[in-house]
Amino acid sequence: MPSICFYFEVHQPMRLNKFSVFNIGNKNSKSSYFDRQLNKDIFIKVAKKCYLPTNNLLLDLINKYDGKFRISFSLTGTFIEYCEQFIPEVIDSFKALFKTGAVDMIEETYYHSLSSLYDNMDEFEEQVKMHSKMIKRLFNYKPRVFRNTEAIYDNRIAKKVTEMGYKGTITEGTEKILQWRSANYLYKPINTNLKVLLRNYTLSDDVGFRFSARQWPGHPLTADKYANWMAKSEGDLINLFMDYETFGEHHWTDTGIFEFLKHFPGEALKHDHLDFVTVREAIERYEPVGEIDVPWAISWADADRDVSTWLGNDMQIACFNELKNIGKKIKDTGDQDLLNTWRRLQTSDHLYYVSTKGMEDGDVHKYFSPYDGPYDGFINYMNILQDFKHKLY
Amino acid sequence: MRVAMIGWEYPPFKAGGLATHCYGLTRSLADKGVKIDFYMPKTKHATGSDKTNLNIIEVGEAEIFPYDRPDSKELAGQFYDAVYRYNDLVVSRVKGKYDAIHCHDWLTMKAGITLKEKTNAPLVVTVHSTEYDRSGWIYPNQWFIDIEREGMEKADRIISVSHFTKRVIVEKYGINPDKISVVHNAVYPIPEGHKKDIVLFLGRLTIQKGAEFFLRAAYKVKDYEPDARFVVAGIGDMLPRLITQALDLGISDKVIFTGRLTEEEVKHIYGISSVYVMPSVSEPFGITALEAISAGTPTIASKTAGFSEAFNNCLRVDFWDTDEMANKIISLIRYKPLHQTLSKEGKREIELFTWDRVADKTIDVYNGVI
Repeated sequence: MPSICFYFEVHQPMRLNKFSVFNIGNKNSKSSYFDRQLNKDIFIKVAKKCYLPTNNLLLDLINKYDGKFRISFSLTGTFIEYCEQFIPEVIDSFKALFKTGAVDMIEETYYHSLSSLYDNMDEFEEQVKMHSKMIKRLFNYKPRVFRNTEAIYDNRIAKKVTEMGYKGTITEGTEKILQWRSANYLYKPINTNLKVLLRNYTLSDDVGFRFSARQWPGHPLTADKYANWMAKSEGDLINLFMDYETFGEHHWTDTGIFEFLKHFPGEALKHDHLDFVTVREAIERYEPVGEIDVPWAISWADADRDVSTWLGNDMQIACFNELKNIGKKIKDTGDQDLLNTWRRLQTSDHLYYVSTKGMEDGDVHKYFSPYDGPYDGFINYMNILQDFKHKLY
Repeated sequence: MRVAMIGWEYPPFKAGGLATHCYGLTRSLADKGVKIDFYMPKTKHATGSDKTNLNIIEVGEAEIFPYDRPDSKELAGQFYDAVYRYNDLVVSRVKGKYDAIHCHDWLTMKAGITLKEKTNAPLVVTVHSTEYDRSGWIYPNQWFIDIEREGMEKADRIISVSHFTKRVIVEKYGINPDKISVVHNAVYPIPEGHKKDIVLFLGRLTIQKGAEFFLRAAYKVKDYEPDARFVVAGIGDMLPRLITQALDLGISDKVIFTGRLTEEEVKHIYGISSVYVMPSVSEPFGITALEAISAGTPTIASKTAGFSEAFNNCLRVDFWDTDEMANKIISLIRYKPLHQTLSKEGKREIELFTWDRVADKTIDVYNGVI
């Protein structure tokens, strides 16, 4: 009997101030790299459209179905900082959800960074520990399942995550690693003892990407139709992983997304052989059916399902290296402000905005980017990195 | 299909993008089996065609410089007379039966209208720029506007080179948008040369093209990138003022005014420049940007430039924002990955902008009116 495993990624990056070459090394120029006003405006907008109403709805649903509807969240550190600064009630509502016992919390890097791709993994480990501390403080809980930024995964990361004590992790159920095999089972990395949950990208994207696409044959997607698709699925586990902003932000209220969510648990539970599990329950209940070997990093992003979203062109690679290479120097200074800034600059979104991938993916990038295209994104980010280096040398 | 096309310039005689457009369009149309008689004023330069479907027919004696802006009453009288004379001559020379009359911009519209009435053939008008663009939206001349409006109203179909220009035609000339097809221009790629630290402006030195903003940006760049040289290529009524401006800014040692360049020289300068800037106050399309990009030269263009509505791999600025223009020039010089990516991706994207595509879309327009 397949179990439905819902997991939502909750993240907001710290978007940057406009920063020109003329500001580099200029002590009189603005003190912060981060655009507080813009970030505040976006956070409040998304909180009202998505976080608060969706949390309320999910709480109602969990209560209504007596805990049979179960979900998991991953909250980034930068997201929590926004909550604490601007709308602490958002944290309260996540705490209320967690208290029901039907909600699990997932570990990730505090800064939603690409530190797992650094040659040295110490920084990655530190950022995971920061996140762990935060979850402990807010929920008094120690997550068993780790999910890396945008589901970036390879053998090396799997090994590190196991060494850090996690029992499960999450990545994309792409044919690149599965070939003919189904994503609806747990797998084990070839090189270590860990349970890997694989995103069912078709069913996840039906909601995440296609819900409001009128030209999609599945449109309009109703709760009973979606539940029927689940009921017909084979396997142990249907992993539906998506951005939390799917609800009310990527798809606005008038698309019917909230009505869909409201009715889905009831429709799913009409099928006797379906139930819901959290990610932790999934790895406790099921066993791996095979091995996966992932020498090159994959992710859930774009059509390529690899790291080319962040490291696909020379500009992105240059920024990534500039930032990575000053890490040791920053740590040597022992300056907490510098370290914090360095880490905030590591948030993967800054490189996402510099992607030059065309066609469909490019449209998605455009939707999320605060810049007029990737080149402006690069200039601004690189100018800030140059200024940041000035502060060190 | 037989088309009488009326233009005012054709390579090697060339004052603007219209010549480039007519050249690329007529040759690709001819290759697709459309028979074209291309009427134009007689020039000092020998012109002609090596294609059987395409005849270049020179009309009259006087050269007309279509971008001249008569600034005294007396000169204006002569200028208007020359325009009317050219139009009358075209009308008298066009003989035989055509499936369509196709004319380009205001200078040919009188002839187009008369020929439509005389032969009953449908009229297609391509708008490459309007009087509002050429005046930089400052004190546009009613005489040109009236001719343009009449031509647009009488046309069976209008081709505009961008959505930007389509909006101007609808809003300023009161034309029904359903009558207007947008066909973006194209480019014959120019070979990439050995890049030097040259920041290039290339275009008519008129108020429309915004060279003064280029010089202001150059002033802001010079202390940060002392090796950079700024080339202003082209001629026009603003040249004396621009030279004075460069002196006043104290950058005359950094700026080179080339005057008029030959076609070969133009290709060479595109090829060896590192940055191309197109700070037009009003730019219906901007073929020069495509030319620069095809030569691997990253381009900074006005946000409103027509080409950029269909082109991703370029940088955009407000033409008056010379701080941002300088920021982008310096970034292109300093950050090699930025320069390389723009150069590479730009050349890849430019492959979509072929005259073959322009000809196909133009034939669609012909088929809609015949």
